[in-house]
Amino acid sequence: MVMDAFNQAFNSLLLWYSAATAWAPASVRLALLSAAAGVGMIWVFGKVSNQARIRTVKRKVQAHLLELRIFSDEPAVAWRAQKSLLRANLGYAGLMLQPVLVLALPTVLLLVHLEGFYGRAPLAVGRPAIVTVAMRGPAITAPVLMAPEGIEIETPPVRVLERNEVSWRIRPVAPVSGYLHFTIDGRTVSKRIEAGGSPLFVPGRRVDSAFAALWRPGEPRIGAGNIEWIDIRYPQASVSLFGFSTDWLVWFFILSMASALLLKGRFKVSV
Amino acid sequence: MKSRALLLAPLVLALCACSRQTTEATGRRMIVLGVDGMDPQFLEAHWNELPNLNRLRKEGGFRLLETTVPPQSPVAWSTVTTGMDPGGHGIFDFIHRNPQTRMPFSSMAESVPPRRSLSIGPWVVPLSSGSVRRLRGGTAFWRLLEERGIDSTVIRMPANFPPVDCEAQSLSGMGTPDLAGAFGMFTYFTDDPDEKRTTVPGGLIVRTSVVNGRAELVLNGPANSFRRDHTVVTYPLVAHIDPTEPVARFDTEEEQIILREGEWSGWLRARFRMIPGLASTAGIFRIYLQQVRPRLRIYVTPVNIDPGDPALPISTPPDFSRELAHALGPFYTQGIPEETSAYRAGILSRQEFLGQSRQVLADSLRMFRHELSRFKSGLFFYYFSSIDQNSHMLWGRYDSDLLEIYRAIDAAIGEAMQQAGPGTTLLVMSDHGFARFDRAVHLNTWLMQRGFLALDDPANTGNQELFRHVDWTRTEAYAIGLNGIYLNLQGRESGGIVPHEEKERLLDRITEELLAFRDPKTKLNVVERVYRPEREFRGRNLASAPDLIVGFRRGYRASWQTALGAVPAVPIEDNTDAWIGDHCMAADQVPGVLLSNRKIQMEHPRLYDVTATVLAEFNVPRPEGMLGQSVFEAPAETARGAR
Repeated sequence: MVMDAFNQAFNSLLLWYSAATAWAPASVRLALLSAAAGVGMIWVFGKVSNQARIRTVKRKVQAHLLELRIFSDEPAVAWRAQKSLLRANLGYAGLMLQPVLVLALPTVLLLVHLEGFYGRAPLAVGRPAIVTVAMRGPAITAPVLMAPEGIEIETPPVRVLERNEVSWRIRPVAPVSGYLHFTIDGRTVSKRIEAGGSPLFVPGRRVDSAFAALWRPGEPRIGAGNIEWIDIRYPQASVSLFGFSTDWLVWFFILSMASALLLKGRFKVSV
Repeated sequence: MKSRALLLAPLVLALCACSRQTTEATGRRMIVLGVDGMDPQFLEAHWNELPNLNRLRKEGGFRLLETTVPPQSPVAWSTVTTGMDPGGHGIFDFIHRNPQTRMPFSSMAESVPPRRSLSIGPWVVPLSSGSVRRLRGGTAFWRLLEERGIDSTVIRMPANFPPVDCEAQSLSGMGTPDLAGAFGMFTYFTDDPDEKRTTVPGGLIVRTSVVNGRAELVLNGPANSFRRDHTVVTYPLVAHIDPTEPVARFDTEEEQIILREGEWSGWLRARFRMIPGLASTAGIFRIYLQQVRPRLRIYVTPVNIDPGDPALPISTPPDFSRELAHALGPFYTQGIPEETSAYRAGILSRQEFLGQSRQVLADSLRMFRHELSRFKSGLFFYYFSSIDQNSHMLWGRYDSDLLEIYRAIDAAIGEAMQQAGPGTTLLVMSDHGFARFDRAVHLNTWLMQRGFLALDDPANTGNQELFRHVDWTRTEAYAIGLNGIYLNLQGRESGGIVPHEEKERLLDRITEELLAFRDPKTKLNVVERVYRPEREFRGRNLASAPDLIVGFRRGYRASWQTALGAVPAVPIEDNTDAWIGDHCMAADQVPGVLLSNRKIQMEHPRLYDVTATVLAEFNVPRPEGMLGQSVFEAPAETARGAR
């Protein structure tokens, strides 16, 4: 319940942002978000790291580097400088540990949520796709699948006995933003489906367990029942920026890092 | 100063002339459609059902097009490419033989391993790059066009693998191997205990078992050039079979698909790992779920080179295949994509073969339309394989199925006519025609019976290939390939016994006896003509030429066993194979066709005249060694004589 509420709140925030910037292409929306994330990260970094010690260690590193350059013809001094440099670097890495640990959780949660906004493309109209339901026990009886208008179910269910899975081949014949309904043992579970168009958000696997929901936050948990998860194999999306098309994560890291490094001076943060 | 100016003047004038010529030529447009195996007799019988070809015939011209000796596709298309006869370009058959070992090899290309490498345990680190070498001689006509600044797009020209190095957009055709390096090696998985075969020509048959609804399938990829033992790299697939419904889910490392019984998949990608995490090769394949119950039968196409990430050079510029794959999705890159081998092996039915063949044609037409719509100036050449491959399996017995293929090509020609309009020259040509293949001639057995070939024991006749029981110390002549007979010549063949001074006498004797060879069943002469390469061809690139080229009568052809050096018990027998049509006969028995939207002046054009016509259209002079003359010019007696 708590997980559902958290996921819904986080998702709503991102949906609100996406809707507010829907006038811009996905690449611009991602760029703005990445820049903002970079600013947030550098601010948090400044707050949770020991800035004074970081500055001291960095000065030590510079001093040892200088020592190496000046005394390069004196092996004993150079060797001592190497050891000191290594020690200073290890100290620097240790100082990074605390802010990295603090930033890791919110960053990962943000990335997991953003996957549904930038990582998945809707199903292409006219192209087949696979829908799979994983059961808790043997998949002897397949659920009954009902699809919205615009989605054709092309095959009977394939029961994958070895994995307790049931799969169907579906094909969107028109743009659709709706729900697939799976009925088993008198209970119906839904899964959102997006095909065609340019939806702001394409949810991934719908799961049952709270832990899995942490990593698959797009839809509410399935709740009690025989179904463990429901998945639609969406095509991967790519984001095009400056003429280069690649995975959104690459752009996110480049742009967030760039904005953080550019603004570290303004926030008086030493990295 | 004055003398320097005088010296430079002719150069400047020549450059100006060249530039003017280029400019004039660049504005011209020409479309050449190469339709392998389009037969004049079939056209004559079906003009009314082929409206575009009929219109082309009436409004422009239609001629029989004299094919090459022998009339085999790699030979004929090499002539179209270079404007040379086989003696010029040096391709005489699908396969040539190494005189030292008498082993056959592809006449079109060979792979060259890296010159230097470093061995570390079981691994080999190449220190220089390996390559694939095209064996055809001569200069491709699109290179000559390129030298004059004329754009060209040449799609799927046969015997152009690896593609001629140039700036023109080209995609290799017949002769392009699959990822395993074969001309097309399918894999057939079954749990049928009655299926005892493990290999058939062009395919592997693999026994699998279904346990708890799961069958593991392993696809063979290329030999691992990073390993000393060259182990074949494999790719795993899993088929999950539903317990009651005729449907299965296939899981690859990257994708999942579901097929009903009788359905073909789209293209699937496979990455064959040569060095895990460091080096891999990409391939594409399709799956056909032939049957789920009572026996599982799964057919997997040969693994094609992925045009989006080609492991071998298949296009120029190298990115061209990627651009095509980006625009059209994956497509067949294997030189001969129709699944004739599986049909011949009884694995695919005729309907299944036709279904796959239609997909090949649909793939091809998609690419044709894409490229035709992009064609602006210069030359556009496009090759269609479907009529040839379907004629082999349908000729003379399933005319309505074959007509369907002809109609599809006719429709494509109609699109080209529309795109061409009055200002663009359009040529439609085929490399040869077709005939029934009723009787299979075992040339080695015939040679044995006439005393030219000896076995270690006369009882050792059979289908064992590669001259397994041939006694070379008593053999004067042997046959390999589809039309060739070679002498076991001293100094050329390893352990050859025929002295050079005996060569002519022996060739005359074999020729005489071949021409007198009668089919005991039909009482007809089996051989129409016997050609001597040094007399037949103007070119002198005869190193790989057979000593005799056998021109069979219509209805007769060298057997499959002959092609690979077997010596069966009888010299001639009924062809019981599903391969019922062919063209590897006497050249005048199976001419091709030439149609154009312009009046064809030449009465008896030959294949190399097509090349000369292309060059003449763009005012590009023929280089030395190139034969022929434009078909739009009336052949003067002198010009004809010079050909």
